[in-house]
Amino acid sequence: MSENAITRRSFLAGSAGVAAVAAGAGFMSFGAWEQADASGTKDVESHTAYSLCNSCSSKCGFKGYVVDGKLTKMIGEPSHPHCEGTLCGRAYGYASIAYSEDRLTDPLKKNAKGEFEKISWDQAYSEIAEKVKSIIGSDGPEALAMVQDPRPSGSYYTKRFMQALGSANVYTHGAACNMSKNSGFTQVIGAGDYLADVENAKACMFIGRSYADAIRPSQLHALEKAHENGAYIVLVDPRLNNSIAFADEWLPINPGTDLALVLAMSHVLVDRGLYDKKFVSEQATGFDEWAATLGQYTPEWAAEITGLKAIDIERVAVKFAECAPAACIEPSWRGAYGCSYANSGETARAVACFNGLLGCWNQKGGALFSASVKAGDVDKAKFPSVPKVEAKIAGQSEYPLSLSGMGVNVYAAQLAKEGKMKGMFFYNSNMVAGYSNPAYLQECLANLELSVCIDVQMTETCHACDYVLPDTSYLERLELPEFYGGKIPAVAIRDQVIEKVHPNTKPVDQIFSELADACGVGQYFDFTVEELADAQLKTVGLSLDGLRACGVSTFPEKAFKYGSYPKWKTPSGKFQFASDACEKAGLPRTPQWLEPAVAVPEDGKSFRLIGGKQAIHTHTQTADCEPLMAITKQYGLERVWMNAQRAEELGISDGDTVEVSNEQHTGKVQVKVTQRINPDALYMPSHYGCSSKEEKTAYGVGLRQMDYVPFRIEPGYGGICSQEAVVTVKKVGA
Amino acid sequence: MEYTPIWSGIIACYLFLGGLGGGAFATSAFLAWRHPEAVTMRKLGHWIAPIVVIVGLVLLMFDAKAGLHNPLRFALLLTNFGSVMTWGVVILAAFVIVALVALIMDLKKRRVPMALEIVGAVLGICVAIYTGCLLGVCKTFPLWNNALLPILFLVSAVSTGMAAVLLAGVFKCPEEFNRVGVLKKFHFCFPCIEMLLVAALLFITATNSTAGLASVQALACGRYAVVFWVLFVAVGLVIPTVLETKMLFFSPKEFEESRKAHMISAGSDIGVLVGGFVLRLLVLLAALPVTMTVAWTL
Amino acid sequence: MARYGMLINTKKCIGCYACRTACQRQNGLDPTDSFIRFEEREVGEYPSVSVEHVPLQCMHCEDAPCASVCPTGAAHIGPDGIVEVDQGRCIGCLYCMAACPYQVRNRNEKTGAVDKCRFCNVSNYTSGTEMCSCVTACPTGARIFGDLDDPDCELVKEIAATHAAPIAGDLTKSKVYYVR
Repeated sequence: MSENAITRRSFLAGSAGVAAVAAGAGFMSFGAWEQADASGTKDVESHTAYSLCNSCSSKCGFKGYVVDGKLTKMIGEPSHPHCEGTLCGRAYGYASIAYSEDRLTDPLKKNAKGEFEKISWDQAYSEIAEKVKSIIGSDGPEALAMVQDPRPSGSYYTKRFMQALGSANVYTHGAACNMSKNSGFTQVIGAGDYLADVENAKACMFIGRSYADAIRPSQLHALEKAHENGAYIVLVDPRLNNSIAFADEWLPINPGTDLALVLAMSHVLVDRGLYDKKFVSEQATGFDEWAATLGQYTPEWAAEITGLKAIDIERVAVKFAECAPAACIEPSWRGAYGCSYANSGETARAVACFNGLLGCWNQKGGALFSASVKAGDVDKAKFPSVPKVEAKIAGQSEYPLSLSGMGVNVYAAQLAKEGKMKGMFFYNSNMVAGYSNPAYLQECLANLELSVCIDVQMTETCHACDYVLPDTSYLERLELPEFYGGKIPAVAIRDQVIEKVHPNTKPVDQIFSELADACGVGQYFDFTVEELADAQLKTVGLSLDGLRACGVSTFPEKAFKYGSYPKWKTPSGKFQFASDACEKAGLPRTPQWLEPAVAVPEDGKSFRLIGGKQAIHTHTQTADCEPLMAITKQYGLERVWMNAQRAEELGISDGDTVEVSNEQHTGKVQVKVTQRINPDALYMPSHYGCSSKEEKTAYGVGLRQMDYVPFRIEPGYGGICSQEAVVTVKKVGA
Repeated sequence: MEYTPIWSGIIACYLFLGGLGGGAFATSAFLAWRHPEAVTMRKLGHWIAPIVVIVGLVLLMFDAKAGLHNPLRFALLLTNFGSVMTWGVVILAAFVIVALVALIMDLKKRRVPMALEIVGAVLGICVAIYTGCLLGVCKTFPLWNNALLPILFLVSAVSTGMAAVLLAGVFKCPEEFNRVGVLKKFHFCFPCIEMLLVAALLFITATNSTAGLASVQALACGRYAVVFWVLFVAVGLVIPTVLETKMLFFSPKEFEESRKAHMISAGSDIGVLVGGFVLRLLVLLAALPVTMTVAWTL
Repeated sequence: MARYGMLINTKKCIGCYACRTACQRQNGLDPTDSFIRFEEREVGEYPSVSVEHVPLQCMHCEDAPCASVCPTGAAHIGPDGIVEVDQGRCIGCLYCMAACPYQVRNRNEKTGAVDKCRFCNVSNYTSGTEMCSCVTACPTGARIFGDLDDPDCELVKEIAATHAAPIAGDLTKSKVYYVR
C-alpha cells in the first residue's frame, strides 16, 4: 500500500495542481466546481496508489484513488506507454472484480461426489505437494505442466516454481492467442513480434486486428493520428469492425483467406518490380526462390478465394508500394492469424515477407523492432538461480515451429488425455472455456492425477480441477515490475491499491512460495515480492519506493532509432523469405497458399464461425463482472452477427432467436442482422456462454464460440485453430 | 434502439381511476339533479368516487419509490406550481376532501347540499381533465401534446364514471336502475363522442409529425393493434354502443327491465370500463418522442 | 456564470463504452445505472456500409422538459445552466423521465430517485477528475467540454469549425452539440 495516505484536505491542495493544468488548457473555472457538499468537507481517509490494469494483456497504468478503504476513481497514467492517460472501457469496469460477490474466498477441494468443499491452505498445500512428489517419483517432473496467462508476478513465480520442480512445461495461453503469428514471424525476422509505426505511416493494413475493439489506448491514439495525417488505412476483416472510424477502406475478406491476399499483393509487387530491391539484396535470403513461386498468385486467383475484387487487391498493393517504406501490414494480435486457422503460421510468414518487399523494417512509418529493457541479474545469494531444466517443453518436438516461450498448451492437455501428463496447474488461465474444445479439455483434465486452478472466480477450469486456490485480485497485491518494449522502453509497477477484501485469499507470489516450500523446493523462494521487485529495479537504476511514488519510469536513453535495419536473429542471420525450419516441419520453404482445414459447404445454411473481441470484454475473463456484463445485456452484445442478405435467404430477422449448431454443439442465441459482415461468416463474440453457475453474472448469457470449435492443433506451429469451425443456423420455431 | 415507455400499467391505473372517480361523482351530482329519487344510486357514486381515487393515489405513491422510502418528500409536491402534477395534487386533494365529506354526510343520513354536489362535480371534471393535461404538456410526444387528449380523457372519465355507477346500481338497486332513463341516454352518447374524438386525435397526430405517425401506426396496425381494435374499439366502444342502442331504442320496456337486460347492461358497462383502462394504457405505451424518429435518420 | 456545454464528435466515436464505465466508476454509480446511452446506426449495404455510434446523455436543455414537469422541484436548472436532480427531493414519480425526449434519465434501483448526467459537477469532491469523466476518459478525444459563452474556449471554436448542432435541432435548446 502506498505510504502517501493523505487526508482529503491536503489532497485538495494537490488537486489544485490538476486544476491549474486544466486551466492552462482553457478550463479556468472547473476548480470552482468544488461543491460545498456536506460529506465532502469531512476528513475522510483517502490515499492513492499506482497499479496496472488486469483486464487484458496490455497492463495499462493507472492511479487508484481509495476513500475509506474502497477504490473510487481510476485515472489513466499519462506517462504509461500503453494507455497514455486514457484507459479503455474495461479498465473502469473490471476493477469491480475485487468486490465481486462471486469471488473465490477459500481453498476448495473436489470430493468424491464431484462437489467442492472448503479446505485449509495447509491441507491444500500438503495434499498438492504429496501428489507432486508422487508424480515426480513415478513419471518424472516432465509429467507436470503449468498453464498461465502472463502477468507481472505470475510469469515469474509460475516459471520458477515449475523449474524448481524440474519441469520445463510452462505454457502461456499463447497457443490460444498469438502463437502462430509470433512463430511465423520468427521464421522470417527472427523475432516473435514487431511494432507497426502507425502514427507515422503513410499506409497501414490491419488484418483481423481492430485497435477500436481490442483496445490498447496508445495504439488507438496512433491510429487516430495517422488518420488525421491522411494516412491510407485499410481494414482486412470479414467484419466491418469499429476501427473504420479511422480507416479509409474495408476489404471484407472471406475468413481464413488472408494468406491468399498477402500472396497476391506480393505477386503484384514482385511482378511489377515495385519491391525494395536494395533491402531484398542486402538483407534477405531466399527471395528468388519465393519470387519464382509467386507467378501463380495473381490478383485474379486471389479474388476467387478471398471474395475481394482483383482490381482492389492490385490497387492496394500498388498503394503500399508507393507509400513504402512508410507502410506495412500491422502485426495483428490474436485476430485472423494468431491461432485461428491451419494456415495462420504461414499467413504470418507471408505478412512478414510482404513487409520485407516494402523494405519498411525499422524505417519511419514502417515495421519496427521495438527497443526493450529487462531486469538484470539479481543477487544470487538472496535469489538463488534455479538449476537449468535440460528437457524441452512438451510439444516442442511435435510442433517444431512453436515458440518454446509459449508452448503448445493444448498439447499438454492432449497428453493428459493420453495419460502421459499427470499433473497440471492453471494460473489466471481459463483453458477449459477459452481454448478449443471445452468438452474435450474437460475430459483431458478429468484424466489428471493432480489438477490445481488458481483464480479469483470459479471459472470453468476451476470446475474441471481437483483443487481450487483463491487468488487475491490484482488490486489487492504488489507485483513484480513490468517491463514494456516500445519506441521508448518503460517499467511500471502494480502496487497494492486496496486491502484484501477476503482475508483467506493469497497473492500469487505467496501461493507459489508456500507451495514450493511444501514441495521441498522452498529454498528458491526465500524472499518477499518486495525484496525481489526492489532488487530487479535496482538493476536498471531504480528502486521499488521510487517507482511506487511515480508508477511509471521510462528509459529515453534506450529509445528506438529509425534508420538502420534490424539485426536478424534467424539461423541465417538474414531476413528469410525461405526457411529451412519450415521445410523440416513439413511446410514449404517459402510461404505458399495453404487452404484452411475446414471449408464452408455451399448449402445455403452453413457459415464459418468467427470470433473476436468487443471493446468491453477480454476473452471469458471479464464476463462475470457486473458493470461490463450490464452493457452486454442492455445492448444485446451477445448476439451473433449475420449478413443481412443471408438472413433474408434464411428467413431470419434482426432479433430473432436462432439455433446455431454443428457436430460439437447446439445452442440458441439472438441474432443481429447486419450489413457489416461477410456473407460466409457468422460472428460470435468470444466472451459469452459461461457455463459455471458460480459466475452468476456471466452464467447462461449467450453462446461460447469454443464449444463449436473441434480440438485441432495447427501443424508445425501449434495454434488451436480457433476459427476452423463450420456451423449451420436456423430460426427457432421455423 | 427501441423506445421503452417510462410509464405503463400503474400510471394507467392511476389515470383511469382518477378519471373514473371524478366521473362517478359527477354522475351522482347529475342524479341529484335529474333523478333525485335514485338515492341509493347517488350514494353509490359517493362511495365509488373517493375510494377509487384514493386507490389510484396509493398506487401512484407505491410507484414513486423514492417518495415511498421518504414519505416526507411528498410534502414537496406542492413546491413547483409550474408542474401540472402539482396542480393535479391540489385538485385531487380538494376532490378527495369534498368526496369524503359527501360520503360522510351520506353515512350520517344527512342530505348532501346541491352546492357540494356541484363543487364536487366540477372538481371531478377537473381531475379528469388533469389526467389528460399531465400527458399533454410533454411537448415532445405528439400523441400526448395536443388539445384533444384532455377532452378525450374527460369524456372517457365521465363515461367510465357513469358505467361504474350504473354497474353498481344494476346489482344493488335494480329498481332505481330502471328509472334513470336520462342518465342512460347520456351514458349512451359518450362512447359515440369518444369514437369521434379518438378518430380525430389519431388523424391529427398521424399528420403532425413522423413520431406522431409512428405512434398512430403502433396503435392502428402495429404492435398494439390487436389490443387497440379488440379491447378498446370493440369491447370498449362499439359493443356497448350497439348493446345500449338495442336496449334504449329497440327493446320493449318489459325486456328493458328484465334481469337479462340488466345483465346485458352490466356487460356493456364492464366493456366501457375495460375500454377506459385500455385507452389510457395504450396512450401511455404508444407515445413516441419526436427524437426517436427524427434525429436518427437525419 | 458560465453556460456549460459539450461537443460529441460521432465521427471519432468508436462505441467502446469507455465513457460509460468511466462515468460509473468516477461517480460511484451502480452497474446498471448509466448516464450515457448509445445508439448505433448502419448506413448502406454490404460491402459499402458505414456505422455511426451516437452516445447520448442529459442534454442540459435550457428549455428542460424535466425541470418544467417535476412536481417537487427536484429536477431543476442549477448554476451555470447545469440541469440537476436534487436526490433529496425526488419522489420517483418518473414524470421527468416520461417527459424527456432523449431517454437519458435513470431511476436508481436502490433509492428509487431519478438521476442522470451531472456534467460531473458533484462528482469531484474527492477529486482525481478535474472535469467531466466522459471527456477525460474518451480514448479518441471525441468529447469537448466548455463554456458556450466563452468565445475563446475550445468548445465554442470547435462547434463553429465543425458546424456541430444539438441532436434534435432547437427542440429543447440542448447544450450538447453533435458532429455527425
